[in-house]
Amino acid sequence: METLSDEMIMQKVSEGNLDLLKVLFDRHHKHVYNFLYKMSGDQMLAEDLTQDVFYKLIKYRNSYNNGSFLSWLFTIARNNLKTHYTRNHKSHDDIEVLAYKAVEEENDVSENNAHLQYALSQLDPEDRELVILNRYKEIKYDELAEIFGSTPGAVKTRVCRILKKLKNIYLESI
Amino acid sequence: MEKQHVFDQIPDYLDGNLSKSEASVFEKHVENCADCQKELEEMQAFLNVMDKEVHTPSDKLKANFEAALEQEKQHQRKVVQLKSKSSSNWTGNVLKIAASIALLVASFQMGSLFQQRKVDASIAQLQDETNQMKQTAMLSLMENQSASKRIQGVNYIEEFERPDEAIIQALANRLLYDENDNVRMTAFEALAKFTSSETVKNTLIEALENEKNPSIQVAVIQALVQIQEKKAAEPMKKLLDKEDTQPFIKDQIKAVLPSLT
Repeated sequence: METLSDEMIMQKVSEGNLDLLKVLFDRHHKHVYNFLYKMSGDQMLAEDLTQDVFYKLIKYRNSYNNGSFLSWLFTIARNNLKTHYTRNHKSHDDIEVLAYKAVEEENDVSENNAHLQYALSQLDPEDRELVILNRYKEIKYDELAEIFGSTPGAVKTRVCRILKKLKNIYLESI
Repeated sequence: MEKQHVFDQIPDYLDGNLSKSEASVFEKHVENCADCQKELEEMQAFLNVMDKEVHTPSDKLKANFEAALEQEKQHQRKVVQLKSKSSSNWTGNVLKIAASIALLVASFQMGSLFQQRKVDASIAQLQDETNQMKQTAMLSLMENQSASKRIQGVNYIEEFERPDEAIIQALANRLLYDENDNVRMTAFEALAKFTSSETVKNTLIEALENEKNPSIQVAVIQALVQIQEKKAAEPMKKLLDKEDTQPFIKDQIKAVLPSLT
C-alpha cells in the first residue's frame, strides 16, 4: 500500500475506501502545512487551513478527476488561502505585518526563519506561491504549470528568476 | 570558452535536476566564471535555509483529521443505507405520484361538476324569467285593441311547452269572447294542442254552444270528435235543432254524432 502512487490511492478513495486517505494525509500534510505557513507567516492559521484542505479532500473525493494528485491538493490549498483572505477582507500583502509580528513574538523561532519570512513577504503573492511550491521536491514543473495554468518551460524560467530575487532580498536583510 | 552565464540552471543544478552532460558543462562554466560561482554559492546557502525551514504542525491536526474521517465513514454508511431504502421505495413513489394525479383529476371533475350545477341552476332561473316575461307579454298582447296584435299574442303559445292555467284561461277567453273571427280561430288552433286539459275540453264544448262562425264551428266539432268527448253530444244535438244553424254544419254533426254516442 505504501508504494502506490498518490493518484492510485486517491482513485480508490473516490471509490469509497476512505481509510486510504490517512496514507495521503501522512504523506502530504506537512507540505501543505508548510506551504500555508510560508504563505501566511501564521502558524495557527496554517494549521487551521491545512485541516480544512484535508476536510475538503474528504468531502470532494468524488470530484477527483484522475489528474495529478499534488496539483489537485495544492489547488485546493491555494483556493483555501484565497478564500480566507477574501473572507477577512485582507489582501495577501498583510503578510508583511504578520511576518514582523512573528519576528517579535516568537523569539524561539530561528533568526533564519524570520529573515526568510520577511524575504517571502516582499514577493508578489503568486511569485511567493510558485517559489514555495517549487521547493517542495515532489512537485514537478509539469504540475506547477498545471496549478498555475502555464507551460512547464515558462514556469521554470519564472521560478529561477523569483529564486534569484528572493535570495537577494534574503541576503540583504541579514 | 563561451562566456554565457548559467544563472538559470543554478537551481536545477543544486536540486540535481540536470543530466550528467548538462551538469559537466555547467560545472566547467562555473569554474571559469566568478559571477556564476558567487551566485551558485549564495543560492546554495539560501536554498539550504529555505529547505531547512520545515515546520511540523501539532498533533492536533492529525487527530482532528482522523476524527473527521471517522465521521465521514459513518455518514457514508448512512448514505448507502438511505440510497438502498430509496431505491426499494421506488414503487411507493410511483404510487404516490399516481395517487396525487388521481386526486388532481378527481378534484378537477368535482370542480367542473359543481360549476355545471351552478350554471344549470342559473340557466333554469333565466329560462324561468324569460318564460314569465313571455307570458306577461303574451297576456298583455291578447288584451290589445288591435286584432292582429291579439293574434300575435295567441301565437306566442308556441313558445311554451307546458303553458300554465293562466295562459289556458286567457286563450279560452279569446276563443269564447273575442269579437274577431280570426282571433277566435287562432285561439282555437292554439288550444287544440292541449285537448288533454279538462279546462280546454270544457271551453271547447262551451264554444260549440256559443260559436256563430261556421268554420270555427266545424273545427271545434272535429276537435271534439277526435278526442271522443261524450259531453259534446248534447250541445251538438241542440245545434241540430236550432233554426239558424248552417245546413252543412248540421250535415257535419249528423255525420259524426253516431261515433260519439
